[in-house]
Amino acid sequence: MEGTNFLKYAFFVGCTTLGRLPGYEKSTRKLAATLGIELVDMPNSSCCGTTYMEGVDELTALSLAARNICIAEDMGLNILTICNGCTETLTKTNKILKENPEKLKKVNEILKDTGREFKGTVEIKHLLRILKEDYGLENLKKAIVKPYKSLKVSTHYGCHLLRPSDVMSYDDPNQPTSMDEIIEITGAKSVQYPGKMDCCGGPIMGIREDVTWAMGLEKIEVVNKYAQALVTSCPFCFISYERAQLMIDNQKKLPIIHLPQILGLSLGLSEEDIGLRDNKIDSSFLKNNLEARK
Amino acid sequence: MTEIIFNEDTKRFRDSILKIGGAERLMLCYQCGTCTNDCPVAKRIEEFRPRNIARLAMFGQKQQLFSSDLLWLCAGCYTCYEHCPQKVHVSEIISALRRLAFIEGKIHPTIKSLLTALSRYGYIMEIGEFENELREEENLPPAPEPAINEISTIMEKTGTLKKVGGN
Ligand code: SF4
Ligand code: SF4
Repeated sequence: MEGTNFLKYAFFVGCTTLGRLPGYEKSTRKLAATLGIELVDMPNSSCCGTTYMEGVDELTALSLAARNICIAEDMGLNILTICNGCTETLTKTNKILKENPEKLKKVNEILKDTGREFKGTVEIKHLLRILKEDYGLENLKKAIVKPYKSLKVSTHYGCHLLRPSDVMSYDDPNQPTSMDEIIEITGAKSVQYPGKMDCCGGPIMGIREDVTWAMGLEKIEVVNKYAQALVTSCPFCFISYERAQLMIDNQKKLPIIHLPQILGLSLGLSEEDIGLRDNKIDSSFLKNNLEARK
Repeated sequence: MTEIIFNEDTKRFRDSILKIGGAERLMLCYQCGTCTNDCPVAKRIEEFRPRNIARLAMFGQKQQLFSSDLLWLCAGCYTCYEHCPQKVHVSEIISALRRLAFIEGKIHPTIKSLLTALSRYGYIMEIGEFENELREEENLPPAPEPAINEISTIMEKTGTLKKVGGN
């Protein structure tokens, strides 16, 4: 891509997207290809290790996450993630193992029998952060060929992209703006709303489903007053907000859109390219809002 | 508020919490209630009170902390982490308590089943032939083969494999 340094990453898709959200993965791959960002699949990579594992056994969680990081180290590439959970798990592990020699020793002791060793040579960044920090908003602006005419959306960052803030060191844990800045580049308006940093409730879906739906619907009700869709950067949040609405019949449905989907259309990609039909709440209105090709 | 019992066991339990990374600042909690006030789960579940969890932890009340689903109701949103004026980080206290529960083999069945899947498939759900066929229909490459032998080696060495019922 003209004016951009060659960008290449190890692509860590994450379980939920791999198994449940083809539209998210497809739109990410197409978006990257259009922008000239090369994504390389990570052979033998697995689940990130999960915050669930971290919650019950730290050494196992660190070792599982480190194993994935080792794969990227062997590839000589930084990691691009698209799930907030994976981003936090891998970032936290990377930070702990780079800063704490005692834990590093323990983890490498565990990894020894897999023939791997954590060296601490790569970084982990979410797609959103890569667009902002590595690709650059100016370059992104140049790539927009079909801006939205009058689209109003709201953003949901989710918790683990930004928190714990002393680990993630990205944007602001209470008043983030980076996704809104990206949205506005497409010509759409990103509308602010109360409770922007409220959690989707996804992590307790399998424990107290009713609470997850209540948390989801509260945000949907608020955003429905202000915007035509909610844009997410995490598969868990996406699923929570979609499912919460599908549980209730008589309610005005708010389309939930993956970040690379909303960007993709304005970059000239088709509905098919961004897997829009995989979204369970009809989102076809988006294309009617695009200006003709510049 | 529930009754607090003191004895050698409760003191020992409190000390074991304090030794876990991230939970060191527990005793600085001054019970202001910011965490409970801002917690999205507390808003909806009467018995889930982060401030009370901190209080029970300070007094080593293992019985009360372990006797229900309490510890597994936290959504891990880190609101209490970001907002606590004392940087006590109740989310990390809860994590520490979950780790102590897990040492005794206690874990919520839903979380256990996710971790069992992880040990079997390398993912928190099966992504096998069927899923890969669907992926192919969507023009996506097959999901990475997660080297299950490496995953089980790790989990066996740390002792988690048995506890999550993997093999
Ligand atoms: S943990 Fe922090 S926010 Fe919660 S009651 Fe204690 S001091 Fe207040
Ligand atoms: S991390 Fe857990 S306890 Fe803390 S505010 Fe979020 S749900 Fe409540």
